[in-house]
Amino acid sequence: MSDSKYITLVSGDGFEFVVLREAALVSPTIKGMLRSPFVEAQTGRCTFPEFNAIILEKVVDYFHYWHRNQDKEDVPDMEIPVEMCLELLMAANYFNLDAKPTPRD
Amino acid sequence: MASRPNKIRPIRRPIMSKDSNEFTPCWEILKNALTDIHNKNASQLSFEHLYRASYKIVMKKKGELLYNHVKAFEEQWFRHHVLPPIAELVSANLISIALLQVPGSSAHERRETGERFLRGIRSTWEDHNTSMNMVADILMYLERTYVSESRQPSIFAATIGLFRDHILRNDLGGSSEQLDQRFLIFDILNAVVLDLINMERDGDIIDRNLLRQITSMLEALYETDDELENTKLYLTVFEPRFLSASQGFYKAECEKLLREGNASAWLRHTQRRLREEQDRCDTSLSILTTDKIASVVEQELIVAKLNDFLAMEGSGMKNMIDHDHHEDLSILYQLICRVDKTKNALKTILQSRVMDLGLEIEQTLKNTDFSAPAPGADAEDAAEGEEKAKVQPLSAAAQQTAAAIKWVDDVLQLKDKFDNLSKICFNEDLVLQSAVTKSFSEFINMFSRSSEFVSLFIDDSLKRGLKGKSDEDVEVVLQKAIILLRYLADRDLFERYHQKHLARRLLHSKSEIHIEKELVRRMRAELGNHFTLKFEGMFKDMELSKDLLESYRDHVRNLGDPDTKKIDLGIHVLTTNNWPPEVMGRSASQEEGDRGDCIFPPAIQRLQASFSKYYLDDRNGRVLTFVASAGTADVKCAFPKIPGKTSGPLSKDRRYELNVSTYGMIVLDLFNNGELEDDERLSFEDIQTKTNIPTQDLIRTLGSLSIPPRSRVLVKEPMSKSVKPTDKFGFNAQFVSKTIKIKAPVISGTSKVEDVEQRKETERKNDQTRAHVVDAAIVRIMKQRKELSHTQLTTEVISQLAGRFKPEISMIKKRIEDLLTREYLERIDGDIAAYRYLA
Repeated sequence: MSDSKYITLVSGDGFEFVVLREAALVSPTIKGMLRSPFVEAQTGRCTFPEFNAIILEKVVDYFHYWHRNQDKEDVPDMEIPVEMCLELLMAANYFNLDAKPTPRD
Repeated sequence: MASRPNKIRPIRRPIMSKDSNEFTPCWEILKNALTDIHNKNASQLSFEHLYRASYKIVMKKKGELLYNHVKAFEEQWFRHHVLPPIAELVSANLISIALLQVPGSSAHERRETGERFLRGIRSTWEDHNTSMNMVADILMYLERTYVSESRQPSIFAATIGLFRDHILRNDLGGSSEQLDQRFLIFDILNAVVLDLINMERDGDIIDRNLLRQITSMLEALYETDDELENTKLYLTVFEPRFLSASQGFYKAECEKLLREGNASAWLRHTQRRLREEQDRCDTSLSILTTDKIASVVEQELIVAKLNDFLAMEGSGMKNMIDHDHHEDLSILYQLICRVDKTKNALKTILQSRVMDLGLEIEQTLKNTDFSAPAPGADAEDAAEGEEKAKVQPLSAAAQQTAAAIKWVDDVLQLKDKFDNLSKICFNEDLVLQSAVTKSFSEFINMFSRSSEFVSLFIDDSLKRGLKGKSDEDVEVVLQKAIILLRYLADRDLFERYHQKHLARRLLHSKSEIHIEKELVRRMRAELGNHFTLKFEGMFKDMELSKDLLESYRDHVRNLGDPDTKKIDLGIHVLTTNNWPPEVMGRSASQEEGDRGDCIFPPAIQRLQASFSKYYLDDRNGRVLTFVASAGTADVKCAFPKIPGKTSGPLSKDRRYELNVSTYGMIVLDLFNNGELEDDERLSFEDIQTKTNIPTQDLIRTLGSLSIPPRSRVLVKEPMSKSVKPTDKFGFNAQFVSKTIKIKAPVISGTSKVEDVEQRKETERKNDQTRAHVVDAAIVRIMKQRKELSHTQLTTEVISQLAGRFKPEISMIKKRIEDLLTREYLERIDGDIAAYRYLA
């Protein structure tokens, strides 16, 4: 089960997002989560009580956006609604998306 | 479209509650989690939960606190839970085995104890490593914010380093009553690993996997928490010890092999060791060490005692070469290539071996040649003599020829042998090839008769060997000839011999012209145009003669005046310069003074006059000389029936066709013209007066006609095996032969080794020619340079003539003197000898 192609991300307000595992691994946080023998790795289900569905959806969007475009050039920017940007910044920080890859990754 | 301005929504911060003292509950969560992780209960924990806890702490700017707490926790955990089982493993027994090398402990016991210890270390390490990875994962946020800002070692490095500080560098409270100095667990670890490696080297089977895991542990640990790449404990502590222990091991092993005194075993052993060490690095240690340990083995097993092994009596390199131990030599080559790119050791021995074997060939030859009076050689002589004596009285000379051919064959065999070595064992190494070639050329040129022998070999192969042989065989012979030629330094001497031998072959049609041409073509490719000029001239003469003869025959037919006696003329018109003087009959006249040409029978004279007229008709200013010594004639003889005989061959008229030399024909003619009575005899002197044939040639001619039974058309009185000037000769009316065509042996037809006299003569002539060549070279050089010192001039002359021969310094000096007296050059006044060219 831990090797299934998709994993489920759950928002604080109970929405579930089924995401391509490979896409979600762009986040070192999720990667670490699925690597260690913790509950998440066994169930393939990660719950994020700190984020509501709106933000998490955008995060998931980003995962796929990245996954789709990782090898391409001249990729159009992702559309980010201005009112969400602070919260998204925080989410990015939480998901470690703003960090350079550490050696152990 | 809505025109409502987009307002940035403020962050709702449910996680950042107002409670500022949130550290303690969060830490509690984490602390419990750490305990669970160590106890392998992590599967019940939520990563997100723990991550969030550390995230919160960091958000509260308590990162440092967390960092220190984690570190303290891990240290404590180590002290209470990890260390005790390890300390238990470090028994007194282990210490005495690993560090004190107490004798009496069996290898098996040592291995068991050692491996148990290593397994303990390994499992502790694996647990620790896994736990620390998990801890680092949940503290990821701490790592990337607080740690990277505060320039502390990463949480992983700091916690994994605990293993180094608290286990490897632990001295277990100095519980070392047996030892004078303090020791660390690390020392025990190293000693145990090295001991296991030595056991494996001695043939025991050890747990390679375990070793590999231990070394990867050392590769994952660093001297400090900064984790600099070149401070891996593997590199800083373990590897140096491993290398120095190995050095000791192989040094001892090398001594042992040296005592055993078998170079072949040494080679194989060394090769095996190299492979083993490589294998060990691949499977048990680290590939980082592969090259280093290889160089230790190379140094200790190969370089250290290389010359001792190579020189070993009975199994050293000499033995390997002599007995074609290709496998040994291949290994040797590979080993030496590893340690010495110049391969000097190998080169020197190869060269000296070539020299020795080359000189041996010469020695054997000398022994067979000069031991003729010795009984052993006598028997051989007799055996061979019996076969040939009837046909040829000169079997000793023939034997010498055989010796020449044997010499060439031996040299070629030796060459083949070393070529084989080069191909099979030395990877066709260019350095070695050229060294061997150099030695070959050296010993061949040390042998004074090499030029002559090579030419004789060619003569022999082309004359005898090639009839009915395939193109491949011909190719082999040609190649051999060229190979030998390449080695010769005195090429002008060879040129002289080859010219002589070639002339004989051409005139007597002993060989196939296209093969001769091919050989000369290759010589040209190898040695240049000037070398083959004469040979090509000879070929040209042969071809022109053929055409000339055709047209002359046409001419005679058209005269419509058929000669009643009908003598068919075959003639070769030879250009004097292209052909050797011996063939042109010049040397003979030199020896005996100017006796004039021999007297031909009138019928022949008429024929000569007819041809001369035809030839000189449209070739003004040429001189045509008939060389009787080089020709042959087919003579039809009639032997009338002997009266009184009624049965047997003598009762009938007999007709034979006799193939004799031109001289033979002239002599026979004396007995043909009907002036003689049946039993009248002609004395040797009579014959000589009537024919004017040079004495030596006449002896030979009469010998071939009166001694061998098969062609004894003349009777000699008294009957003996040799011709003396006092003998008398008469027509042998009783002559009988089973075959119609009879060939009188042509003495000069075969090429032989020259005797001492002839040889001196050849050398004298050669030196004369050389003198001219050196003259020309000096003049050429001086004309261009105007002024030169003596040494410079000498060097230039030698380098100019290098392709043809190696002039002796004394000769150059003499030629310079000569040119000075002839006023081509003058001396320049001054301290050093120098010359100026006089235009």
